[in-house]
Amino acid sequence: MNAELITALLVIGGAFLALLRAVKGPTTFDRVLAVNVFGTKTVVLLALLGYIGDRTGFLDIAVLYALVNFLGTIALLKFVETRRLG
Amino acid sequence: MLEYVADALMILGGFFAFSGSLGILRLPDFYSRLHPAGTSDTLGQLLILGGLSLKVILDSSGDGLSVGKLVAISLLLFVTTPASTHAISRVAQLSGMKPWTGADSKEADFSQKEEDTNE
Amino acid sequence: MSDPVLLINVLLLLLAIGAALAAMWTRDLLGAVMLMGIYSLLLAIEWANLFAMDVSYTEAAVGAGASTILLLTALTRTGTREKAGPNFHPTALLTVLVTGAVLIYGTSDLPRFGDPLAPATVHVAPEYITQTVGKVGATEATENDFGDHVPNAVTAVLASYRGYDTMFETAVIFTAGVCVIIILRPLAGSARRRTAGSKEDA
Repeated sequence: MNAELITALLVIGGAFLALLRAVKGPTTFDRVLAVNVFGTKTVVLLALLGYIGDRTGFLDIAVLYALVNFLGTIALLKFVETRRLG
Repeated sequence: MLEYVADALMILGGFFAFSGSLGILRLPDFYSRLHPAGTSDTLGQLLILGGLSLKVILDSSGDGLSVGKLVAISLLLFVTTPASTHAISRVAQLSGMKPWTGADSKEADFSQKEEDTNE
Repeated sequence: MSDPVLLINVLLLLLAIGAALAAMWTRDLLGAVMLMGIYSLLLAIEWANLFAMDVSYTEAAVGAGASTILLLTALTRTGTREKAGPNFHPTALLTVLVTGAVLIYGTSDLPRFGDPLAPATVHVAPEYITQTVGKVGATEATENDFGDHVPNAVTAVLASYRGYDTMFETAVIFTAGVCVIIILRPLAGSARRRTAGSKEDA
């Protein structure tokens, strides 16, 4: 039970709570927020898993995720905004 | 000695990541849920990835590429997480979502606090 | 608890199952799109854990990024609420169960995971490995088309040995993308009237 594992379990627990909020979320924005937080958790978790399993290839995927997550959030928000306003 | 510092940084970051998600789940209102999402998550990833890169430096003694990638991820998240949070709050405000003020009356002010949820 | 990677794998797969079930059961289609994004993120970690880095890249870029945007583009033309109706289809459930049972039965013929005596391991894999991995760092031989620049065997196989295959796959996907853009173009144009941009540009 080293520090990486404890941190990874904490991050997975946080991801689970964010998933609960994404399922519950009364409004759309709660869901967008939860998905965004989940993406951040995923990036951190990938870096941690790469260290635990000693695979540096995970970091490339983590970089890709960090980019895709932002893009997806902005696309979702654009959809929500233009559908409500226009 | 530095290894313990790295461990402490990572566990502290894990704590922040978990407590931020707990806040997202437990806080009563969308605008209040923005706070753990924006601040606690950013700090959590900064601490975790910082501790991780410190560990990588200590372990393999100069795996510069991995450390560079970790720092790049951390900087990227440091910019994009608050930006996304801001964008979400902006769109929410533009679409007419009112912040919960703890009062049901029209002229609600922010000083009142009551123990009911708004869901 | 002995193997931390296994423990994390199990937890992540449970999360993925939860996200998929929630995406199935929710009536809010926008929420379902977001839950599918979460599901894709989780699945891509699993691909990475199984050493399938190329699949993981694809899952991250397509599953979490592009398909979310495509589904949102579809949602601009439909409503975001699922039509209320019978949510339980016995025929569909029976079909899924039978197909799943047949597939699970078929896995009993497969060799054990990581079996060194499996046909795929003894037949062609050594040839590829000696031709790709062995050449990396070798100074005298560059029969590998990429010389010493491809340290990953999967990438070498995909881009070199299956080069034509990959090229025509790319052509097919490009054609499909062009068709989607052509189909959605007038619709997006009518939506662009009052908004700043369109989704398929993203």
